[in-house]
Amino acid sequence: MIRAAGDSALIINLGNEIDEEINKRVLSIAKRIEEEKIEGVREVVPTYTSICVYYDPLIISYEKLKFLLKNYLREKPKEIRGKIVEIPVIYGGKYGPDIEFVANYNGLSVDDVIEIHTKPLYRVYMLGFLPGFAYLGGMDERIATPRLKTPRTRVLAGSVGIAGKQTGWYAIESPGGWRIIGRTPIRTFNPNKKTPSIVLPGDYVKFKAIEDVKEYEEND
Amino acid sequence: MIEIIEAAGLSIQDLGREGYQKYGVPVGGVMDRYSAIITNYLVGNDRNAPLLEFFMGELKLKFLKDSIFAVGANSEVRLNGEKIEAWKSHMGREGDTLEISMPKNGVYGYISFQGGIKCKKIFGSCSTYPQAGWGRYLRGGDKVEIQYSSKKMPERRELPEELIPKYEKEQIIRVILGPQREHFTEEGIRTFLSNKYIVTEESNRMGYRLEGAKIEHSEKGADIISDAIPLGSIQVPESGKPIIMLADHQTTGGYAKIGVVISADIPKVAQTPIGGKLKFKEVSVEEAQRIWKRKWNTLQNIKRYLNGEIRALRVKINDESLLAFVEEI
Repeated sequence: MIRAAGDSALIINLGNEIDEEINKRVLSIAKRIEEEKIEGVREVVPTYTSICVYYDPLIISYEKLKFLLKNYLREKPKEIRGKIVEIPVIYGGKYGPDIEFVANYNGLSVDDVIEIHTKPLYRVYMLGFLPGFAYLGGMDERIATPRLKTPRTRVLAGSVGIAGKQTGWYAIESPGGWRIIGRTPIRTFNPNKKTPSIVLPGDYVKFKAIEDVKEYEEND
Repeated sequence: MIEIIEAAGLSIQDLGREGYQKYGVPVGGVMDRYSAIITNYLVGNDRNAPLLEFFMGELKLKFLKDSIFAVGANSEVRLNGEKIEAWKSHMGREGDTLEISMPKNGVYGYISFQGGIKCKKIFGSCSTYPQAGWGRYLRGGDKVEIQYSSKKMPERRELPEELIPKYEKEQIIRVILGPQREHFTEEGIRTFLSNKYIVTEESNRMGYRLEGAKIEHSEKGADIISDAIPLGSIQVPESGKPIIMLADHQTTGGYAKIGVVISADIPKVAQTPIGGKLKFKEVSVEEAQRIWKRKWNTLQNIKRYLNGEIRALRVKINDESLLAFVEEI
């Protein structure tokens, strides 16, 4: 289903739930559209269940673009194989000031929280919201914890947190209300790199508990 | 080089970052593209040249080197205390001071310098985006460097009166409904299109929060699975009060969008002050694209006129004066 989102963007909707298969289709079709390099198309932004195509209406009209895009929806797209990215995390202490809260809230020990958090292979569904922020799927609901009532004015880049049933990390420093359980010493977002984000939609993330920051400090 | 003496809401901007929203990087850039582009054209710059954007005015700058500049705002402008015209290029000499008052209408204004402002580009743009640490608002004592310029005055220096953007405190804003129209009842859509909404204090470069009649959601509710947010999207959270997403808006979000402001009307929204009123009017995509094409053509004609490639004729019909661009055959 294709719909206008203003006069210079349209949204192709491929489903109504957060689902790995739907998201795989989203990413494949988004890649296909991007590779086609249609004249007038400025940006292709895949999200959980939809693809937003930004275009220049002086070059291509809504109707014409819609017509072209419909063809790609009929094709069987090639699946994108994501990579597994290991994210080292120092849990607790000054790096994860809310880990005790998360443990107490769920009737667990801090070690349980770490074990439960490091166990799954999380799927990166999309990047958005703020630069380099990855929307992950697959967190165990046993560590789900509501956001802070009053968000912090400053959360450091690399902070790993939980908000409701979601987990993720702050790729850049920003204000935020997530419960911070740890911090990764690696730089996950770098504007100077050709691919600025360490993870891309379709990738999988594995958190790994580490004790020492030093071993990671050098290899940015 | 320009020294900032007094500043508020002053930042370096261009037309933003295109092509990186898939990494979560907001487009950003100037709030009012139309005024910013004209201000750049006035000094012979490309439309995307980095320039200064100010909010509400009351600023003072000092030229540390000669530079041709223009002010794009309906403000009182003084060079060394002498009143000079806005929407016109001038020569600032080393040691000169430039003072700009609050705009009489509109809230964002622009100062362009021939050659554009020098900066370190991030994702191809100089636009200030403090949320990610990409630049910051300028303060007294800061200095900005200007790229090399020819010091040659443009062919024509002044924007014809008829083309100076004027911004009312009450605006009719044209929108394309959707993309989540089904998240609203028919009554909700009617409420949205038939009431005036007031710009509140909780408004900034990311978006304007509006106050007014509560918009009713359908049984689908206010939340959606997060998707992309195009510029001008009107999100309606649970409160039923709309939020218009502007230049620095986040790339994705989870509130249902009742409509998107047409490209040609984004500057009108951006220039509405706190307390100003917006009334929304539905148009089709085709109509919005036609309107944009006309606006773009006007911008191109302004550029060619300032470059001396075409002439402008003033046609007076009764009390109304119209402008016609004419080309030599």
